Amino acid sequence: MDLNYTAEDTAFRKKVRAWLEQNLPRTPIRTLDERRAWHRKLCEAGYLGMGWPKAYGGGDARPMEQAIVADELARACAPAPTNALGLGIVGPTIVVHGTEAQKKRYLRKILMAEELWCQLYSEPNAGSDLAALRASAEDRGDHFIVNGQKTWTSAGSIADWGLLLARTDPAVAKHKGITCLLMNMRQPGVEVRPLKQITGSSEFSEVFMTNARVEKSDQVGRLGEGWAIAQTTLGYERGGRALARITSYASQYGRLVEAARRIRRHGRPLVDDPIIRQKLGRIWAELEVERYGALRMLTLLERGEHPGAGGSLSKLSYSEFEKRFMELAMEILGPYGQLTEGAPEELRLEIDTAVGEQGTWAYAFLWSRAGTIYAGSSEIQKNVIGERILGLPKETRADRVGGAR
Amino acid sequence: MNFSFSEDQVLLRNSVRAFLDEQCKPAHVRAMMHDPRGYDPGLWSEMAKLGWLGLPFPEKHGGAGLGMVELAIAIEELGRAAYPGPYLPSVVLGGVGLLLGGSGGQKDTWLPAIASGEKRATAALIEETLDWDPASTTATAVRSGDGWKVSGLKRFVPWAHVADVVLVPARGPEGLSLFLVDPRQAGVTLSRMVGIDLGSRWSELRLENVGVGANAVVGQPGGAGPLLEALLRRAAVCASAEMLGAARRCVDMSVEYAKVREQFGQPIGSFQAIRHRCAEMLLETENSHSAVYYAAWALEAGAEDAAVAASICKSYVSESARRACGDAIQVHGGIGFTWEYDLHLYMKRAKALEPLFGDAEFHRELVARHVAGAR
Repeated sequence: MDLNYTAEDTAFRKKVRAWLEQNLPRTPIRTLDERRAWHRKLCEAGYLGMGWPKAYGGGDARPMEQAIVADELARACAPAPTNALGLGIVGPTIVVHGTEAQKKRYLRKILMAEELWCQLYSEPNAGSDLAALRASAEDRGDHFIVNGQKTWTSAGSIADWGLLLARTDPAVAKHKGITCLLMNMRQPGVEVRPLKQITGSSEFSEVFMTNARVEKSDQVGRLGEGWAIAQTTLGYERGGRALARITSYASQYGRLVEAARRIRRHGRPLVDDPIIRQKLGRIWAELEVERYGALRMLTLLERGEHPGAGGSLSKLSYSEFEKRFMELAMEILGPYGQLTEGAPEELRLEIDTAVGEQGTWAYAFLWSRAGTIYAGSSEIQKNVIGERILGLPKETRADRVGGAR
Repeated sequence: MNFSFSEDQVLLRNSVRAFLDEQCKPAHVRAMMHDPRGYDPGLWSEMAKLGWLGLPFPEKHGGAGLGMVELAIAIEELGRAAYPGPYLPSVVLGGVGLLLGGSGGQKDTWLPAIASGEKRATAALIEETLDWDPASTTATAVRSGDGWKVSGLKRFVPWAHVADVVLVPARGPEGLSLFLVDPRQAGVTLSRMVGIDLGSRWSELRLENVGVGANAVVGQPGGAGPLLEALLRRAAVCASAEMLGAARRCVDMSVEYAKVREQFGQPIGSFQAIRHRCAEMLLETENSHSAVYYAAWALEAGAEDAAVAASICKSYVSESARRACGDAIQVHGGIGFTWEYDLHLYMKRAKALEPLFGDAEFHRELVARHVAGAR
């Protein structure tokens, strides 16, 4: 065990920090074009798609280097790049499962944010039970015709392309009849309706597909293998960015402590109240434990091991932590916490929400409710941990036998 | 950066576990409950021969020259076996205490004897008020000839009844000082305190004008505060490692039980209510592992955040181990509540360690001081 960073990693961190000091945008990003420009700048510096193979424009970087870049971006409160799903999920899926033609056609454009991507997985009746999805892709020889509805589609409103899971065979067991397709979102028959969320903003959309067309050359992997491919891509949603996430929490925590110094109760600063101190101490302890966990995960990734179901432990841990953290923030901030406008400057939270707006504490509190639902709810994570790590028996479930319909 | 055990560390864990699986079965733990000494000297000297009683001491003092991480690994295994014996008091409170602040002569005298198992040590860190802050010490030391006379009442002194030497903090003319006291000498009275964990032993230690020589001071007279704080941190992390071991054992037993115990015609582990509880137990136990080994490494490496990491560790593990052990009883149902079944051995060990060296609230206040300043 040695938790010191190597000299090489420390030097790399310095380099990234120096680059950020030179290049960090001085004014807030307000438009998608400005965000694309920042994205390209990061990409040209070699700080995006770092883990992708060099042959496809990546950097063949080690997980630690990727973690350091993400961590430094968080430390500098840098705006997020765009095309998060393209970089995080679609690109890696094409790298692993795509054809040579698909790699040539799509990867570079994903990396440079020339084409923005979304993930067309969840449906109104297929959320946690994702394999129950019903959107259909009908084989028409050289192409598929797609019909159905998707929902909770992140970045749907700005996406040019979507990674689609569709049912190509309704006669077999539900996990077996699904195929993974790349669908052009800019075609007649694809209608995107942004969903207004409890935060008031619209990161998610509904997508309606009516006789939309997908070329056969845009099928990823073999027919009926979409579920297995989705399992590997869901894995990419977990892990990697953990260190950066904790650095962001830590800077938010710093602002919360500042706020607790200014707000008074019974004639003394809230930060001197023993009950509040206990709660602040508890959350900092939990935050640090999350950081230790992130370092353990990085150790695995650095050794070239895939965290597998261990990723579920990590996701469950940090998403539930985030809820507790934001609940404490609301408690400390009192009525200020719920403000979306008009909070005194010293009590504001300024986080980049990746949709071109500055977030408030209220936004962060509401958004924390999403983490334990998306990418597999906490309940699903506990099932995965129970079954795959602890080896507990599966439930007898009717849907594990028989056809999808 | 590498947050995983080295091959040698894995080897150490495996050999301690294999030894205890063989030598410290639940029947042994139960037998020791009725033993006047509370531990088996034969087993003790076996552990000494294997080098485990001097793990963190330098080789020149008869030790293995290893660090806090190895110590935590061994102690986690002791917790997993609910080992009854004075390991933590002797090796950590006494041995590490002397290692941190003892003179060359004191180390020469005591460390090889502790490592070989011939002598046992402990420390008397709290008094009637149960305040773990060394500054709260009210025991007194007055000058007497070349040495001192020490008086005071100490509570919850672990395994003092089999100790050859006790580290006793007392307030002298120069301030807070630490003294080596022989618990058998005139003026010392020991009385047994019995708790729920019959694998642990406690004494009340009353000192009335106990005479100690000039060479009985550990460190400088008046300079014991930082030494005691440093010792407390190490002891807190070691106690956390032991709680972690107990919690892990409870998780393992629960999972095994949930696989085979049937209700409503199915193994109870197939029910989400049970499976989710087991998943939460595993999550908190894994997080506790991170907290224990991060803190152990930080203390060993002298990392900037070592002190706060120790407090984070003790506050987190105190509560997560309590929950894991408690949930284990819930998963087991009625059988988990019986004396015959072994679960309570581990649950009680974790419970006994929970308030030791500062409970969760005590350490959370230290964490709060670190992030938000003193009140």
